[in-house]
Amino acid sequence: MIEVHRVSKVYSVGPVKVPALREVSFRVSKGEFVVLSGASGAGKTTLLRLLYRDDRPSEGDIEVLGHELVPMRRSQVATLRRSIGIVFQDAKLLPVRTVYENIAFVLRVLGAPRRELTARVFDALRVVGLSSRAQAYPAQLSQGEAQRAALARAIVRRPPLLLADEPTGNLDDAMAAEIVDVLKDIGAGGTTIVLATHQARLARALHRRTITLDGGRVVKDEG
Amino acid sequence: MLGFLVGEALRDLRRAGRVAISAIVLITLSLAALGGFWLVSSNLGRAVAQWRDRVRIVVYLKREPSAPEAVLGRVRAIPGVSGVTYIAKADALRALKQVLGKDASVVDHLPANPLPASLEVTPSATAATPEGARDLVGRLAALPEADEVAGSADWIERLSQWQRLLATIGLGVGAVLAVAAILTVTTATTLILHARRHETEIMRLVGAPESAIRLPLLLQGMMQGLAGAVLASIALMAGYSLVAPRLEPLVNLTLGIPDLEFFSPFGILTLLGAGTLLGGLGGWLARARREP
Repeated sequence: MIEVHRVSKVYSVGPVKVPALREVSFRVSKGEFVVLSGASGAGKTTLLRLLYRDDRPSEGDIEVLGHELVPMRRSQVATLRRSIGIVFQDAKLLPVRTVYENIAFVLRVLGAPRRELTARVFDALRVVGLSSRAQAYPAQLSQGEAQRAALARAIVRRPPLLLADEPTGNLDDAMAAEIVDVLKDIGAGGTTIVLATHQARLARALHRRTITLDGGRVVKDEG
Repeated sequence: MLGFLVGEALRDLRRAGRVAISAIVLITLSLAALGGFWLVSSNLGRAVAQWRDRVRIVVYLKREPSAPEAVLGRVRAIPGVSGVTYIAKADALRALKQVLGKDASVVDHLPANPLPASLEVTPSATAATPEGARDLVGRLAALPEADEVAGSADWIERLSQWQRLLATIGLGVGAVLAVAAILTVTTATTLILHARRHETEIMRLVGAPESAIRLPLLLQGMMQGLAGAVLASIALMAGYSLVAPRLEPLVNLTLGIPDLEFFSPFGILTLLGAGTLLGGLGGWLARARREP
């Protein structure tokens, strides 16, 4: 599903080279739920960006869902991303659209038939437990609800892979637990999940394989 | 999918607000100016074409020929002559009486008919130009029967030059306004690009095809252009309805055309197409400049 081989990423800030990832290697199998753990600045977000081909590694190879990402042309990136759901710390909901419209928007841009929209959007909302808030605008949602709406948007296309970058970062413990439960439900349905979090307690509580990054290196891979 | 893209384009237009309205107004002005000059120029063109058909060269004869047919035969053989009519002295006098109308009795007091017999020569199309007419006048003047030759196509050419000048001014003014319109559409689209950056980000993240990301920008530019062209067409139509009935008697008297023509359906379609193209170009330029 995912194969990361000796991947390094160095950012250039003027003449200064800042290493973000150093020789990172790991594999994620189909259906696995993997936690990427580490303090802020450990390289989690950089690694996730490489996985959905928002950036290229400075060195090493990455294969995701059978696609070699390093030589991938820009025109092929869209094809890859149609198979990946992505969730961020800020939900990135469109403020002038309702929850329903935010989720339907993704289906519309990908050319889904209009007659399928309602059923698919409400399927996704049911999974995240947000059906009753379909007509609410993002400003009317709690942070937990906004994050669940973002999760619904990520899974509405039923992608085989879900990448979640600190989805609980802005939430209190109760709300974070809700999101984690939703993620577990999604994972139970066969979706491969990579969840990045700086919350060590959350990572431990999940009881899932945890890859710990520190200073851009994998320092632990257990579970 | 197309319905969705058009919907997104309309949403973008609402976002652009006043800038989009400015762009539409500028496109309206540029096309109205272009169309206005085009209308004047095409009506002048009609007058020029009509007057070219009406060019006549009159050969006044020294005396009335005893065998007019022989003279007519020789004139018909001259290059550049399309047709010739013989006007006897008596016919000329009759025509003069007709022109004088109620004052025609003045002619009866003349001791003799003072008018000469003449030949009214219709030049062929190639001879209906200033140079062609001058050459023809020279050849007709060489006839032994000819006393004086009158007529030229110079003033028609001057009218034609005015027509070309108006068309050029129209194109110049229209082009300047068109550039301004394109730049305004570009500015509106740039604002839209900024306003829809979140949508664009989401679209890229979910793997939307480039066409779904870019087409709404092009479409909203085309919509602005089309709206401007429709308004320009309405303005021109209104202007024509107001001005034409008042100008037609004057135009009839000076240019000899019975009425002023408006655009044909094809002309209006061309105007609408030009507006759509202008707007689309503005949208495309903004996209080309700002898209990463």
